[in-house]
Amino acid sequence: MNVPREFQEMTNAILRSKAGIFGLSIIIIMIILSTLVLIYVPFNVAKEWNNPMFWQRNPRLALPNWVNIFLEKKLPETIIVANESFRKYSYYLETAGLKYNVLEGKFSYEYQDFPSELRLILYVDAERILVEIKWLQPSGINVTLWKGFLKGGLNSIYISREKEVYEYIEDSLKRFNISSSMIMRPEIILFMDNNPSHVNPTPVNGVYMLKIVSISSNPMDNVDAELIIYGKVFGLAGTDDKRRDIFVGLVWGAPIALSFGLIAALATSFLQTFIGSLSAWYGGLIDEFIQRVTDVYMILPFLPILITISIVYRIDIWTLLFIVVGLSVFGGATKTARSMTLQIMTEQYIEAAISYGASRKRILFLYILPRLLPYTMANMVLSVPSYVFLEAALSVLGLGDPMMPTWGKIISDAYSGGAVVHGLWWWILLPSALIILTAISFAFIGLALDKVVNPRLRER
Amino acid sequence: MLPLAMLKYLGKRMLLLFITLVLAVYLTIIVANAGGLIDNILKSQIKYDIVSSLVRLPTWSELTEEEQKRIIDERFQMAIQAKGLDKPFIERTFIYLIDALTLRLGRALFITSASGSKNVGDIILERLPQTVLLFTTGTILYSIIGLILGLYMAKHPGGFFDKAFSIFAIVTQVIPPWFFGILFIMLFAYYLRLTPFGGMVSAPPPNNPIGYILDVIYHMALPLFAWIFSLFGAWAYIARNLMVQIAEEDFVIAAKAKGLSENILMRRYVLRPSLPPVVTVISLSLISSWQGAIITETVFNWPGLGTLFFQAISSLDAPVVIGLTVIYAYLLVITVLILDLIYSVLDPRIRARR
Repeated sequence: MNVPREFQEMTNAILRSKAGIFGLSIIIIMIILSTLVLIYVPFNVAKEWNNPMFWQRNPRLALPNWVNIFLEKKLPETIIVANESFRKYSYYLETAGLKYNVLEGKFSYEYQDFPSELRLILYVDAERILVEIKWLQPSGINVTLWKGFLKGGLNSIYISREKEVYEYIEDSLKRFNISSSMIMRPEIILFMDNNPSHVNPTPVNGVYMLKIVSISSNPMDNVDAELIIYGKVFGLAGTDDKRRDIFVGLVWGAPIALSFGLIAALATSFLQTFIGSLSAWYGGLIDEFIQRVTDVYMILPFLPILITISIVYRIDIWTLLFIVVGLSVFGGATKTARSMTLQIMTEQYIEAAISYGASRKRILFLYILPRLLPYTMANMVLSVPSYVFLEAALSVLGLGDPMMPTWGKIISDAYSGGAVVHGLWWWILLPSALIILTAISFAFIGLALDKVVNPRLRER
Repeated sequence: MLPLAMLKYLGKRMLLLFITLVLAVYLTIIVANAGGLIDNILKSQIKYDIVSSLVRLPTWSELTEEEQKRIIDERFQMAIQAKGLDKPFIERTFIYLIDALTLRLGRALFITSASGSKNVGDIILERLPQTVLLFTTGTILYSIIGLILGLYMAKHPGGFFDKAFSIFAIVTQVIPPWFFGILFIMLFAYYLRLTPFGGMVSAPPPNNPIGYILDVIYHMALPLFAWIFSLFGAWAYIARNLMVQIAEEDFVIAAKAKGLSENILMRRYVLRPSLPPVVTVISLSLISSWQGAIITETVFNWPGLGTLFFQAISSLDAPVVIGLTVIYAYLLVITVLILDLIYSVLDPRIRARR
């Protein structure tokens, strides 16, 4: 028997059916994507995924940016006014002995919805410095956001959260005879037109300016700034509650899910088939032993035992894979492979091989096992989805890999982060869609392969 | 009177199931105790028992701290010897095995039952009925729906419905119920506001019995739907394939040639011989569904064994995790035993054998 013929038969079966082509093309796309991601993603995702500092410039719980295509009111993207974009100048008041540093940051805002958060980061190169922060709307309204002393180092001012900032804003607005009777968040007040009686406030579009004036007695003192206007959309897949770019997690999850599913499926189906074949070919006590062990294995509470193992030893995903394979050495395929081998053994070419003196090992490996190849491959392809979902299930139970972003982990984070009850659909539907797509493409290939394998042999 | 061959078959199966049970429990114990986990839990529980019983003595506070310590130590050593905890590792695992098999599951670290007991056995028994309620109902419903659909498809093989449903079956078969659960909660509970998000009764629960039952049904609808939706397709597909295969057998064709009516043909010649393999398939799918129930319950916050498992994992309550694994082993073995009994009644070959 030659192996290539069996392979050719299988490839033909896949390429001849629509389902097979569909499944195969999706998997090929995913494999290409996975390799590209592994080569081109510029940073160590597994390392940075759980590092909140890495993601702090992203908005929280932002929708994917392509939703803007379907929306009449465009949602804002994040605008970052970096230090280099600030216009800088300083003057020295000799009479008072004070140095004035002025930073002017301009940005234009062209969206029909308000930003989600505002944050200003100030890098102060001085021991102590007096800072005044002003906000200029396109209409010319001038609001003082904050005034006070800052210590040296990195100062982060959450304009949208800090109560002090809110009080300053209210004060300034009073001077323009605008009373904000409604309690509104700063990111709304700062962007809306100066008529707070509006029921549905809309943001004013145009060029805004943030002006930071710092005063100190030491001419060497300096202040650098960065303004982050967090948007409501981000990237291709939005962000989660820890501001992480879900798209990065999704593309990183692809190679993990594929390799976990494929390795587990490959190992278990080949082992099970091999053992089943062995059982039939050698017969006698070996057969009896393998059959009884398989009976026992098929009733073992697989998942509870797996859970106990992972809770006691806190294992990572690859150790988990190893244990999964170990717990599925015997299984349904052992029984099927045994009955198929029993049938193959009655065929004449086996008899011929025995009569010209081929060794038992040679017959098993070269004459019997290749015949089981189509069945093993079909079985393997069909069991990939269950292992992909197994990883996801363990993640939902909190037992997945603690560091790596996997699809299951993202779904589990989304589930525990309240994505379902708050309707944060992108967080849960995008990883779900990927898992389902992967599972279905393997199922379709399996379906195509099933036609090669005689379905009658699958009954016990 | 049961025929001898049948008794022999059942005896063999029971022996196998018993070995499976012992092996599953023993495996769990080995796994859990390889890091000394069970040892530590048991020792700390024994110590806790001793101290709390001694503190209740009126004379206890009169003793000096050193004397107290000495007495606790003495009793602790005695208790450990009495329990056999000073024996070597292998011998200890057998002590735990017998404890677990007789369902002496010890005390939970953090979780308490609604009645206030810290006994793992009590905690688990309190949750068992809810799990059985949801999943027996689900299994019965999807088997019936699947069987009817399968029969219908087998009558018209190759038709449009047959083809379309086969694709549906393949797609739903690869996606587990809990996964549909998450998507359905989003659709039916969040967007359509038709069902609750989870749980078994409203808070506070209705106080008249009819209202209570209706409330449980209202909460059960979505998990049941997810469960059935994920499983009935595959089941119908299997049933269809079986029927189509049997319908091609010579004896069916012969019966048809005799001129038997479609009804009798279906009932006596097609359905009857398909029953034993159907039971086999049910038993295999039940085994996997008992375990799938862990996550499905967690997703729907259904107060059964699965949610308890999740709570125990989250609070690292090892005695409950081990206890639940033991209970799951029992559940699987009992399920298989019941199906074996049905099987031996259905399959005449067992009665005829030797």
